Amino acid sequence: MTRQRQKEVQAQEPGAVEKAREASAMAVSRPVIIFLTRTPSLAESVIEYVVAIADRLGLKIVAVFVNTMPQLHQRSSFKRRMERSAAIFSEKARTRGLDFSAVRDSGRLAVVVKRLCHTVKRVEFVLIDHGISRELVASVAPVPVFSVLSTGPVAGEAGMSDRLPTLTGETPMVTQQRKRHVVKTITFGAATAGLYGAMFAFPDTVMHYWTKGGFYALLPVATVFAFSYVHGTFTSNFWSALGIEGSKAAAKKQAEKRSGMVETTRKRPDTRPRLRAE
Amino acid sequence: MHAPVTEALQFIDLNLSYILFLIAVGFIGGLVSGFIGSGGAFVLTPGMMSLGVPGNVAVASNMCHKFPKALVGAIKRHRYGQVDIKLGLIMGAFAEIGVQVGIQVQTAILSRWGQAGSNLYVSLAFVSVLIVVGSFVMRDAMKIKKSGGDVGSAPTLAKRLQKIELWPMLTFKTAGVRISMWFIVPVAFATGMLAATIAVGGFIGVPGLMYIVGVTSIVASATELVVAFVMGLGGTLIWAYYGMVDIRLTLLILGGSLFGVQLGAIGTTYVKDYMIKLVMATIMLIVAVSRFLALPQYLDQLQVTSFGDGVSTMLTQLSFYVMCFALLLGAGIILFSLFRARSAEMAAEQASMQA
Repeated sequence: MTRQRQKEVQAQEPGAVEKAREASAMAVSRPVIIFLTRTPSLAESVIEYVVAIADRLGLKIVAVFVNTMPQLHQRSSFKRRMERSAAIFSEKARTRGLDFSAVRDSGRLAVVVKRLCHTVKRVEFVLIDHGISRELVASVAPVPVFSVLSTGPVAGEAGMSDRLPTLTGETPMVTQQRKRHVVKTITFGAATAGLYGAMFAFPDTVMHYWTKGGFYALLPVATVFAFSYVHGTFTSNFWSALGIEGSKAAAKKQAEKRSGMVETTRKRPDTRPRLRAE
Repeated sequence: MHAPVTEALQFIDLNLSYILFLIAVGFIGGLVSGFIGSGGAFVLTPGMMSLGVPGNVAVASNMCHKFPKALVGAIKRHRYGQVDIKLGLIMGAFAEIGVQVGIQVQTAILSRWGQAGSNLYVSLAFVSVLIVVGSFVMRDAMKIKKSGGDVGSAPTLAKRLQKIELWPMLTFKTAGVRISMWFIVPVAFATGMLAATIAVGGFIGVPGLMYIVGVTSIVASATELVVAFVMGLGGTLIWAYYGMVDIRLTLLILGGSLFGVQLGAIGTTYVKDYMIKLVMATIMLIVAVSRFLALPQYLDQLQVTSFGDGVSTMLTQLSFYVMCFALLLGAGIILFSLFRARSAEMAAEQASMQA
């Protein structure tokens, strides 16, 4: 990030750095949890989740609303919606006796996070909303990064119900995934049909070269590799688009097992007796 | 290595019914392979031969479809955290040696006793291995089922072998096993030998991984796909070098089997551990019966018995149908278990959402 670009980002939100500093100064006595979101209208369950964590750990909350596409989003609309969410956030934090401050910023997420971690003091960890890449934030943040997952109703936006479960019982996240699988099924299905069409349109030529033997042996092997990728991706997405996927319960068990493995592979303390000089 | 084949081989003309048959058998074979790690393709070689495909072309085309299918299945099951790649690659390398030895044994038998002697050897290997291993796996599966599906710890033999510290000791993280390489080599070698003899190495590989190495049946069947990939790739390169692969047949079978292998892999995430053993044992035992029915034909050819042409032909046909039945039954059990467990999980999910 060049100094010029940093200036440019700061110029977009002139008060952001100062506000962050103020928030930090207020929280000198308490460690801070930075909650990072790109969404001006936060889901109520997300707010509750963040507040509950802060309450349990006795941390102050600094909620940072980042407008990553200031050219596309109307700033006034972003600000209005963000203030509505921040008000609810503040109210929920106040009822639990927690310090809360909201900061609005714009520009690239990596730049914003880097700046925040330098200006806000005593940051314990960064909590990111969904839609933000954990890898991206973790690459620039000197503190641990955790993510929030929620599909609850949206706070401060009665009209926005895009995160509510649909009539079929699916959450929009599932529906979105299903759509992605459908698109991939169609794309790779067309590619598979194209490959089969190409192979069967000229059977004589194909059979002549593919059965020639010798170094031509690579032709059938390369062909089946290509088919296994294109057709394999198609079939995988086909079943996913139909909703036939691996068991969630099994995936959960697997994740638990993995976390258990991490626990068991933790380095044992060295308790061997040592010689001491008298 | 010999020179590539220069004379034109007899490749069949395809019509719609052949195409549909190959896709359907490919799908069912893929489903079984994705679930038990292997064993879905044994019907294909006789199936293709019944369409008029020469034996060597049928074997080559079958093998050429097996390794990409195993690759796709292994990738899918790796996503579910079931594949131990290290174990699969080590097993694959030694299984490849077993394949080469198996081919040499086959060639020696062929040159001494002719085609009928070779067929008899293959059928006897089928019957003896499948009955011994299949009944052992079935007994174990039934025992676990009776105990309520609780897998418990590794089998006694595997536990004992794991305790023997014989260099080099290998640790397999996904499988959760630490064992000497010297106990993996015989399993891999036997897998390769069986693959070269009856084309389904997994009937030794998966039980070997479960009872000798001490891997769970889910991980064993998933890891076997890696072994099948390594063996299949090596075998295909040899067959393709001789120009034996009919790519049209391969692609048609692959068209169905990639649908099946994905579904079979999904199925493993829903069922209990013993279901894999149960399906595998069921298929093995029925296939053993099938090959037993084929024995009189070869015994007649070697003039050991005299059942007559009519009886032996009828028994050979019956043998093929029994083999198809084994595959269909296996596929039926997999689909039934998958959709029953899936609907139960969905009902539980809905109930928790309502609560």
